[in-house]
Amino acid sequence: MPSKRQLTVAAGYVAAAAVYVAVGVWYTDFLLSFWVGLAYLLLVAWLLPLGVRRLF
Amino acid sequence: MPLLLGSYAPDMMSKWFVYGIHIGGWDLKASDPVQFHRGWPGVGFTHSLLYGVVIAFIFWRVLGSKTWAISFLIGEWAHAITDTGDTVGTMLFFPWTIHIHFGAWAYAGQTGRLTDAAAYFSGPGAVWDLVWIVYGIFCWRVLTRSYFERHVFTADAFWSRANRVVPVAALLILYRAAFFYGTCRWIAWSLWAHVVHHYPYDISWGGPHWVPAEHSPSLTWLQLAGVGAIIATGVAIAFASRLEFGRRSWAAISRTLGLT
Repeated sequence: MPSKRQLTVAAGYVAAAAVYVAVGVWYTDFLLSFWVGLAYLLLVAWLLPLGVRRLF
Repeated sequence: MPLLLGSYAPDMMSKWFVYGIHIGGWDLKASDPVQFHRGWPGVGFTHSLLYGVVIAFIFWRVLGSKTWAISFLIGEWAHAITDTGDTVGTMLFFPWTIHIHFGAWAYAGQTGRLTDAAAYFSGPGAVWDLVWIVYGIFCWRVLTRSYFERHVFTADAFWSRANRVVPVAALLILYRAAFFYGTCRWIAWSLWAHVVHHYPYDISWGGPHWVPAEHSPSLTWLQLAGVGAIIATGVAIAFASRLEFGRRSWAAISRTLGLT
């Protein structure tokens, strides 16, 4: 079974996926490129948390 | 990374021209999208086993990495073989230009990006993708940080070189991105096609039948015999070259696929 920390990480990815899917359904060009998906994921799963940690 | 590159390689340079794009006052689109995408003359050779071997050989000789060569080969072959599942199929044994096709789902690239997406995510192709998403979730351990650091990072020098400028946290996201993108894409296109636009599902063989699919002609008995002979030769070579592709290699591949 996954640990509590692994579940927390997974929940973060699920939340990121929900936003990505919502934007993609509304604006399908967002879904066309793997590189756009990668850039989005780097932004929400790495850069944003990093920025928030630096701020607080 | 090379496995991902290999899996994208067949469509990387061609799909935009199949669907067509609009730049300024210019409309760029193949006059015969199916011929261009899967045929010869055209770039259909990118969906062949030989294309994977040639690029893998270049990776091996230029980069000096057997890992990159074999991983790229697996990715490219996976794409080329998977695309035999549609009604047009691929020239798997190029330069022999017959199309190997099982006709499980409709090929509709010529209808444009949106109809093609709607058709693909309404037919057996979507079910096939779902199988791999479920398999990926079943093998969730390969997406964990510990698996990445222990097995993936150490297996390919690309990661340690990238780590000189990018932290491991970002590399881990790069590693997970393919599964994230593939899964989100499947969910989003399915919602777009069936919740927003109400395209009907048709997961019968060759479906969905509401789209005007392109078809390749069926193989003759002589062509089938030729295909059988090529496959038998390939299997014989694989068994004969156990020194290069022995038990240790299979164990490494199994680990990568999360089978052990």
